[in-house]
Amino acid sequence: MLTIASLSFQYPNAPQAALREVSLTVQRGRVLGLLGPNGAGKTTLISHLAGLLAVQHGSILLDGRPLATARAERPTRITLAPQEYAFYPMLTVAENLACFAAACRLSGDKLRERIAACIAFTQLERFAKTRAEHLSGGLKRRLNLAIALLPEPELILLDEPTVGVDPQSRAFLLDAVRALAQAGTTVLYTSHYIEEIEAIADDVAILDNGRVLRAAALPELLAEGGAQMALRIDWPVDAALGLLGHFGQAQAGHEGEILLSLNPDSSPASVLQAIATAGATLHMARYGSHDLERLFMALTHRTLRDE
Amino acid sequence: MMLAALIRKELLALIRDPHGLVALFLMPVAFIIIMSLALKDYYSPQTRTLPYALLDRDGGAQAQTLAAQWQADHGTPRQVPEEWRPALLSGQVRYVLTIEPGFSEAIASPATPPGVKVRMLADPGLEHALFRGTEAELAAAVGELRANAIQERFMGMVGQGANAIRNLVSAERVATRVRPTAVQQNVPAWLVFGMFFVVTAIASLFVQEARDGTLARLQAIGVPRRIQILAKALPYLGVNAVQAALMLAVGVWLMPLLGGEALQLAGIDWVALLLMLVMISFAAIGFALAIACLVRSHAQASALGATCNLLMAAIGGIMVPTFVMPAAMQAAAHWSPMNWALEGLLQVLLRSGDTLSVLPSAGKLAAFAALMWLAATLLFRRRMK
Repeated sequence: MLTIASLSFQYPNAPQAALREVSLTVQRGRVLGLLGPNGAGKTTLISHLAGLLAVQHGSILLDGRPLATARAERPTRITLAPQEYAFYPMLTVAENLACFAAACRLSGDKLRERIAACIAFTQLERFAKTRAEHLSGGLKRRLNLAIALLPEPELILLDEPTVGVDPQSRAFLLDAVRALAQAGTTVLYTSHYIEEIEAIADDVAILDNGRVLRAAALPELLAEGGAQMALRIDWPVDAALGLLGHFGQAQAGHEGEILLSLNPDSSPASVLQAIATAGATLHMARYGSHDLERLFMALTHRTLRDE
Repeated sequence: MMLAALIRKELLALIRDPHGLVALFLMPVAFIIIMSLALKDYYSPQTRTLPYALLDRDGGAQAQTLAAQWQADHGTPRQVPEEWRPALLSGQVRYVLTIEPGFSEAIASPATPPGVKVRMLADPGLEHALFRGTEAELAAAVGELRANAIQERFMGMVGQGANAIRNLVSAERVATRVRPTAVQQNVPAWLVFGMFFVVTAIASLFVQEARDGTLARLQAIGVPRRIQILAKALPYLGVNAVQAALMLAVGVWLMPLLGGEALQLAGIDWVALLLMLVMISFAAIGFALAIACLVRSHAQASALGATCNLLMAAIGGIMVPTFVMPAAMQAAAHWSPMNWALEGLLQVLLRSGDTLSVLPSAGKLAAFAALMWLAATLLFRRRMK
């Protein structure tokens, strides 16, 4: 559906590029989880897709046509629920929806029908006449989502949609995203929370310092963990990397951990034996299927929670 | 539909902001009331209603004529003891006239008067204009008395001297049916100030929307920039219209109830007034939009908007009429858009000006408005890139 090729972008007067040669494919009807720490470039990427930033280098194609052209024909094919509460606090929930529905060029019965549908989908019926400024954080997030759904977008961009909400509201929002995907809406979902991405994403892209470090289907990424080891030995890190580098791609992780992606012809047993033969003491060893967090740490050398 | 929805949103946000409403409507009304009452005597010196005492130490015919004439023009004098100073210093009377012995003889004599024969002794707190005004009236009354006495003695014009002298002089304001009053000056002045004060409301709401991401959201769903700017501007044309109606109503109906003069609208050129109000509104809203697109925070919005407004008002003769300013300040006033606005309104409300006569002011405001709207459009485009 959406093809991003070699997209680079630098803000005026910024010391370095916010996006560097980003290439991604968003497939119709799937949920793409965009994972990355603050400053990774997630919001810049989303701003391009929402038409808020013009392409400097590279291209973005929507169904094979330049995004700008496709947006000019129908701007609401892609909608955005930004990180901020992007609605009018002085207006009620219903007034906000009516205002944005009209801004989306809806009118008459269609307008009323979409407002009712979005209120029902986000379960805001009881709060329709409540001023937005008086809603709780979770309800505000729901309203933010409801507004983005008004024009029945083909692709919805959800930028950190669960920031500042309680667990109950988070669960509601995740269920809502699943329901959207099941109904055929394509979702691009950015988050700090790896467990959210694991829970809802079909595909995952890991972004850091403006680059896509890894992008693949979630099961594929998690399966890669099966060939990985995490080890801690009493040698200096450089020496340990030298020793373990014979068995695959080794890199330093957190707190002296060495993360090792095993070569196809290497086995965990051969690694442990080499450590013993070298006279090093093994403090910790882990092998098997890992989670997305560990993959993220391996790729970025840091945790998202640290950001 | 899209524009109507955004205008409705803007009006709802404004109506639900009590602080904004106070700033837009009550503040200029308060200024009109306070400044009109405070400056009431400046525009209409009350020389003829000041409490005074009269001590006739001469007792002659000319002294009695002067006392009778003064009493006819200034009311009955208060009774004070021979030692009048305590009454004067306590404010019981504002001045004391003493007619010294020999006054009647000096008036009727063709010889040069031998010395001071009438004294005006005033309360030290009496305003300068009132003091000089009363002194001039006294000098004129004595001069008239002496002229009459000489006419009687040498020209035989008995009993018709007073009218003959007064008929020599005529003073009137040309081409107007309106008398300048504090209300007539302050209503247009604070109306202009209030109309330009939309800058704080527009800029604050704009900053809020930029920060909340609603501007970005509107852009993302393809709302054209011109619609976004129009949706900000059009509601405030309505706000300015309500302000104008309210301020004029305050001048016409409320000020008399509060002891001030009524704003006089009879016979004015309504087309000229409407033209001026529309141009002021365009200029004020254009200025507000430019400031709104320029600033990045609430602090900047309130500081820059309010400061620019106050400076334009202070320089432009809103707070202090330009005619009491020194020449250099009067020259500087011509650079303030608020001065163009005020001069145009005064032309209509004070000088019975017609549409043609307000075109210079309206033209300057139109040029300023065009410049500000262009700046706002460019700044908004740069901001949303």
